[in-house]
Order: sequence, then structure tokens, then C-alpha cells
Amino acid sequence: MPLLSVENLCIGYRTAQGLLKAVEGVNFTLEAGSSLGLVGESGCGKTTIGMALMGLLPPNGRISEGRIVLDGVDLAALSEEELRAVRWRDVAMIFQAAMNALNPVQRVSRQMTEAISTHRPELGKEELLGQVEGLFQLVGLPLARLHDYPHQYSGGMKQRAIIAMALALNPKLIIADEPTTALDVVVQDQILKETKALQDKFHMGIIFISHDISIVAEVCQHIGVMYAGQLVESGSTEQVFYSPRHPYTMALVNSFPTLTGERKELTPIPGEPPNLIGVIPGCRFCDRCPRSEAFCKLEPPSWQEVAAGHRVLCDHC
Amino acid sequence: MRKFILKRLLQVVVILFLILTILFVLFRLAPGDPVSRLVDPNLTPEEADHLIEQMGLKEPIWTQYLMYLKNFASGEFGYSFHYGEPVAKVIWERLPNTVMLFTTAVILAALVGISWGKIAAWKKGRFQDILLTIASLVTHTLFLPWLALLLVWVFAYHMEWFPITGMISDEIWLDPSSGFFGKLVDVAHHMVLPLATLFLIHFGSYLLVMRSSMLETLKEDYILLARAKGLSERAIRNQHAAPNAWLPVVTSVGLSLAFSINGGALTETVFSWPGIGREMVFAVSNNDYPLAQASFLLIAAVVLMANLVVDVLYAYLDPRIRY
Amino acid sequence: MSKLLKASPRLARRHPWQERLAEDWRVFRSSLLGKIGMALLLLFGLMAAGSYIPPLLDPMYHPMTGVDPLVLKSTPPSARHWLGTDFMGRDIFSQLLAGARVAFMVGVSAAFMAVVLGTAVGMTAGYMGRLTETILMRLADMIMVMPTLLIILLLAALFGKLNIWTIVLMIALFRWPGVSRVIRAQTLSLKQRPFIDAARVAGASHFRIIFRHIMPNVLPLAFLYMTFRVTAAIVIEAGLAFLGFGDPGTVSWGMMLQWVWKTGHMFTAPYWLLPPGICISLITLSFYMLGRAMDEVLDPRLREEGQRE
Repeated sequence: MPLLSVENLCIGYRTAQGLLKAVEGVNFTLEAGSSLGLVGESGCGKTTIGMALMGLLPPNGRISEGRIVLDGVDLAALSEEELRAVRWRDVAMIFQAAMNALNPVQRVSRQMTEAISTHRPELGKEELLGQVEGLFQLVGLPLARLHDYPHQYSGGMKQRAIIAMALALNPKLIIADEPTTALDVVVQDQILKETKALQDKFHMGIIFISHDISIVAEVCQHIGVMYAGQLVESGSTEQVFYSPRHPYTMALVNSFPTLTGERKELTPIPGEPPNLIGVIPGCRFCDRCPRSEAFCKLEPPSWQEVAAGHRVLCDHC
Repeated sequence: MRKFILKRLLQVVVILFLILTILFVLFRLAPGDPVSRLVDPNLTPEEADHLIEQMGLKEPIWTQYLMYLKNFASGEFGYSFHYGEPVAKVIWERLPNTVMLFTTAVILAALVGISWGKIAAWKKGRFQDILLTIASLVTHTLFLPWLALLLVWVFAYHMEWFPITGMISDEIWLDPSSGFFGKLVDVAHHMVLPLATLFLIHFGSYLLVMRSSMLETLKEDYILLARAKGLSERAIRNQHAAPNAWLPVVTSVGLSLAFSINGGALTETVFSWPGIGREMVFAVSNNDYPLAQASFLLIAAVVLMANLVVDVLYAYLDPRIRY
Repeated sequence: MSKLLKASPRLARRHPWQERLAEDWRVFRSSLLGKIGMALLLLFGLMAAGSYIPPLLDPMYHPMTGVDPLVLKSTPPSARHWLGTDFMGRDIFSQLLAGARVAFMVGVSAAFMAVVLGTAVGMTAGYMGRLTETILMRLADMIMVMPTLLIILLLAALFGKLNIWTIVLMIALFRWPGVSRVIRAQTLSLKQRPFIDAARVAGASHFRIIFRHIMPNVLPLAFLYMTFRVTAAIVIEAGLAFLGFGDPGTVSWGMMLQWVWKTGHMFTAPYWLLPPGICISLITLSFYMLGRAMDEVLDPRLREEGQRE
């Protein structure tokens, strides 16, 4: 049984203009100890999925259909109270823009111990501090800086503190939402490598959310490409990154420079994603697709399995 | 930190000096005879001469200016016409009454405003929020003296729950048998309505600032992280959101202090509360310029010091600020 | 999410600023506070305009000098005097109407002057920087923490009774610092934009840059601040009048309250005590609500929030 299986997940936001279907019919699974990267441009629903996995959708968002089964438990069906116990203990998160994820008026040590003591109230002050010290060493933060305030940390240190916090309760699943976007390239690379090492060590599942497919390809074993609320291509990193089949994935691969410097012509993708309020009968990418034909606009595309485990939502493949 | 406080204290002194200078110039520009404005016509000629001597009113203008500064620096504020006493004595007697009423009111209003603003933001768009927001909007735009008169009319005149004006009742204070506690209760009894007036006018603005500041804070990533950590809503609200949301409120308390002082003077006047604001209004009505000037300077000094306290408090609440 | 929430691009072919104005007006109208504020202000505007009528009907309805010869004391409302009469038999309703006129006059003119002064100082400080900025901003800080009402009282002690225009001028002179702070911050951020550099390189004078390039961009903000200043000005004038230092030649609402209080009628004549207080409080409230609504129009962050709920 996989660690996580997401089945036919649909999420909608109530807005002044109508119901916005941010995620529609998404399926994927994740084995313990493996990593999946969710890629797509902003607004494609990848962050919404991350939030749904934590049970942290904003007040106007709701899971309208589908299941999120983590280790046999359907998170989508849990009450708020039950979810609160699951958060951080089973699913932890490394935040987008970690710069702002630490509370500026509280010491880092307190923010760390708080994460542990909330779920393990039986621990005493000494034990908590001991655990936090262990975590600091794990991510390579100097112990002397334990009781500092966040503003005294550099960007990289803050990110490490956030990673340490995510590891605090040894969760089964970690969701990393654009964890390194705000850092400079060197620190970014360093932190990605360490994250990978820690994941191997603790054998936890990671869902890595990013707009940058080249970063995801470096860290993750599997990649899911999202477009306008749907998963459009999924498979191993080899398959998706090195032999993409969906026209959108191909465009994505060509629109980012790689970290390791292989020179390619970068092509921006023309056009904008469709408005997700209302019904879209056909393929969502057809307006921007170089291969689109008349019928693409009318009928929803179907999934094609182009290789073992490599699936594409496109009728042309 | 100590360096910062010293620097700010120096600033306060410089500002007071500037105000003194401006007042001196204005005083000279004003129509009429300066001597008659400063020296009570009811004094005996010898007393008047002594006073003229002390203030250097016969000296050339530069000497007068220096003497004027020196007198203020050493606490010689001149002689009140109305009371026939040194101004310093009058205002030092009044100051504690003002501080007692005013500080209690502002602190009470800030505490209530902050805690209710927190609730309003937390329950945004729901019944509690709408009620609190409307109540704050309305109370904080009420015209203060009018509110004071209404309160007196309803609670003192009709209901007779509270005395109409004043701070003490003579029959209790002249009666040697009433102890300290009796006197305390008497003052508290007199203080209820003026306190209520100032409180009602102020809590709304603090509430609205706290509410919007809290709503801003709730959008921050660290609130999301706190929620992701599985903290209870109560802990998120009180330990993560509120301590950050306080900061703009502290600033706004400091900035609105001048406005509050205006209200304080109006309240004291309506309730005949023997404070420094009412004394100043009286002095202006009675053409008692030395008293009016000194009251104003003292109030200005208190406001400046209060702003200094607010800055220090801010630094204490926000670890990012280190002076 | 915000990107997703944006409606598909509009197809309008109007001029950009027309578009902007129409959009602003739409947001403004959708704000309940703005609508209530506007309606109340309209009512006060009607009162102010109507204040010219009663004295034309009968000299006894003149708010200041008209005395009803049959009354000569305070009487409760009647058909002849809708809101009753004051201690010497003057018509309270006519006074109330005249008060609306004074309130608008004081509020708008003082606010306008304060905003002009504050904007000029703020732009100069922000644009010039260095010593000019330090001096101007220290001055602003100093004035900002001073209680305006008490300063004007002290000036009244020096110069005797102040007439209404002196009071307006005083209020403006002491209420500009708040505006100048905001305008300075805005100017500082504008100064960083490329089009200012471009203008400078093209040889535009400081004067031209400030008035042609910076001012149009800070004006909307200045207007927002004007609505808040109006409130402050009305309240300060009313406070002064209430304490007995208003212009003895005008009938303002503060003046009316001073009369009801000083003549000892506040416990016996609610028909006289209530209307002026209600008017001052309501006009303050409506300008405040108007300001809040304009805040929403000018601050796109607040606007988005308003749409989401």
C-alpha cells in the first residue's frame, strides 16, 4: 500500500464571480521514502493541493470530491479537531517564502519547541530543548543561535530552521512548497542537497511543489505536471523531464535554464491559462497548444499510458 | 537603549526650548502691554516691582529672553492673577488629578480596545465583529463634550447615580471621621462619569486599529505555519497573531495622544475636574496668561515624555527594533 | 490565488484614466460605508443650502439676531419653532441649518489648506532629501504631537477672540504634518521610478519634476487625507466654540452647545441639547466613513479582500 494516495481530488473556491475549480480530478500516489514533484505555473492548483494535504484550505475553499488517503486514513473526511492532531505529526510542511514563516516577535527556540510540545505535551522543558538542539545539529545550525530572534538569521539559516522544524516530529510526509525560491542559487543548491540527504536518512515521503521543473528534476524521483487545475503528465523524472510528451511539459522544460548549465534556447509559452470559473468542455491547454486541432476544444482529452508508469493527458500522444 | 533614551530626552528638551522661544516671540508680537499681561494688577506696587525685576521686564529684549528661559528652567513660571499664587504651585497641585483621570482612561481604553479588536478580527464578518465595529465607529466619532453632557444628564441628573461635577464631596473630606478608604471611594465615585466619557471616546479607535492590524497579521505566513503545526486556534490568536498586531496599536496610541489631550481638557471642563486642562481653559477665559502658558508647557512636556515611553515600549515589544 | 481571481481582460476601449475612474467609482459604490457616508453628507449639504431660507421667511428666524418677540426664553418645539427656541427666543432649527453651513465651511477650507500645505511640504522633503528633509520632518513630528485645541486656546489668550477664518487658518497650520508624512513616503518611492530619472536626464527643473511628475501621482492620496482632515477641523472648531472661544459672530453647532451648557439648560431642554450634538457626531461619522471607503478605492489590497468575501 502506498504511503499517500490522492484519488479524484476536486477543490473549489467560492469567489464573488462564482465557483472557481482550482483542482479537478487529480490522482497520484506516493510511496514511503520516495519523492514527487508537482510542477506548474502559478495558479495551476499545486499549492492548493499542498494546502489540502495539510487540511489548511482557506475559508472559502473546500474539497468537493475525492479522497486523500495517508497511511490508511482519509484526511478529506477528518474533522478539524482530528486534522489538528495529524498536522505536523504526520504531515509537515516547508513553506513557500520561509523568510516570512517565522514569527518575528518570538525566539526561534520557542517556535521550535512549540511544534513538539503541541503534539507531545508530556515532554518537559529540558527534553524539548534537548530535542531542538539535536534538530539544530541535524540541519547544521549553530547551537549558539538557538535563542535568537528570526531577524538575526540569514535567509539560509531561516530556511534551515524551517526544515528542522518540519523534521521535529519525524512526520510520514513532508510538503515542500517552493522551499528555496527566495534564496540565492548557491544556498539553494546546498539546501536542496541536504534536504535530499535527510529524506533518504529518515525514509519519509516528500511532495515538492515548484514552478521550476529543473529544480524538481534534480530532487525528485517522480514528477507530476499540473496545468489549470489538472494533472496533465506524470511519471518518473527520467520519463517526464527527459522525454516529455505533453506539449505543456515540453514547453516547461524549454522555458527554464538548468542549474548545471547545459545551454538551450529558452522559449516562453505564449498565452494565458483559461479562467477556471465556469465549465471548460475540451482540453484546457488547447488555446496555447501548437498541436491543437478542432476537436481538442470540444471534448475532454483522455489519459494515455505512453510507457510503464508514464501517463499523459493528451489525445495526440 | 540607554543611548536612545538619552538622545530622545535631549530631543524633548530641544523641542521645549523651541516652543518656549516661539511663545516668547508671539507674546511680544501680541497687541497690548506685555507687563500688564504678566503682572497682576491687584498686586501691591512692591510685589509688582519684585516680579518685574525677577522677570527682567525692564531689561533689553535679549536679556528678557534669557531671563525668561532661565525662569522656566528653574521652575519659576510667574504669578497667577486669578489665584494670587505662584503658577508652579497651582499647576503642580492640578497635575496629579489629570494624570490619574487621563492615564486610567487611556490604559483602560487601550486594554479593552485591543482585546475586543482581537475578537472582532477573529470573528470577521460575523455578529460580534459587526456589532463591535459599528459600536466603535459610532462612539469614537461622538462629539466629546456632548457625550459628557448626555452622561451627566442621564446618569447624574436623572438617575442620580453619580455626582454631577467635581472630584470630591466637601462633606466627606471635611469630616475628620472619614478615613482614607472613604475618601478613595468618594473620588472613585466622582471619577466614573469623566472616565466613562474618555473611555467611550477612545476605545473605538484602538479597537479599529487593532482589528485591521490583526486582519493584516492573520494573512502572514507565520500564522499559516502555526496552524500547520497543529496549534489550537486560541494559541494561534493569542501567542502568534496578537503580539504582532499590537505593534501598530502602540504607535497609534502614541500618535493619538495629542488628540486625546484635547479631549481630556474638554472632559475636565465639563465635569469641573480640577485638572490641568480645565485650569488652562479657565486661565484663558480669565486672561491669566502666566497660568495658561505654564499649563500648556507642562502638558506639552507630558505629551513628549509619553511619546518617549511609547517608543521604548515599542522597542520592548518588537525585537527587530534595537536602539 | 490572486492571479486566478482576476476577471478576464476587459475589452473596453476607453482612455486609461477614464477606465480607472470608472473602476474607482464602481468600487466606491460597492462600499456600504461609502454609500451611507455620502447619503449623510448629502443631507448635511441640503441643510447648509437650506440655511438661507428661514431668515428670508421672517426676520425672527435669523439664527443670530432673530428673536421671537412672543417668546424671549427657551421653549420646546412647536409649529412656529420646529425644534423650539434658545434662551433668548431664537429659533433652534434655523441655528442648526446655519451650523451645517459653518461646519462645511470650516471643515472643507481648513482641510483643503492643511492638505495643500502638507502635500507641498511632503513633496519638497521627499524630493529634496538631506537637510531640507530632516528639518521639515522634525518640524512635522514636533507639531504632530502637540494638542491643536490647546495651542489655539493659548493663541486666543494672546491675541484675544479669534474670528472664524483665523480659526480655520490655525487648524490648517497645525494639522498638516500627518499629510506631509504620507506624501513624503509616497514621493520617496516615486523618486526611485525610472520616469523621474528620465525627466531629470531630459533636463527638467526640480520645480517641473515636482509639479508635472510627482504631484499627479500623490494627489489621490492627498485627497484621501483631506476627508480625514475635514473631521478633525470640524471637531476642533466645535471644541473651541464649546469652550467659549469660537467666533462670536457665527452660529456653529459647538456654539449652540456652549449656549445650552452655559445658560444651564442642558438638563431641562433636550430639544436644544440633542440636535447640535447629533449633527456634529453624525457629520464626523460620515466624513470618517467616506474616508474609509476612499481608502478601499485607493488601496488595491483592501479592494481584493472586499471581493473575496
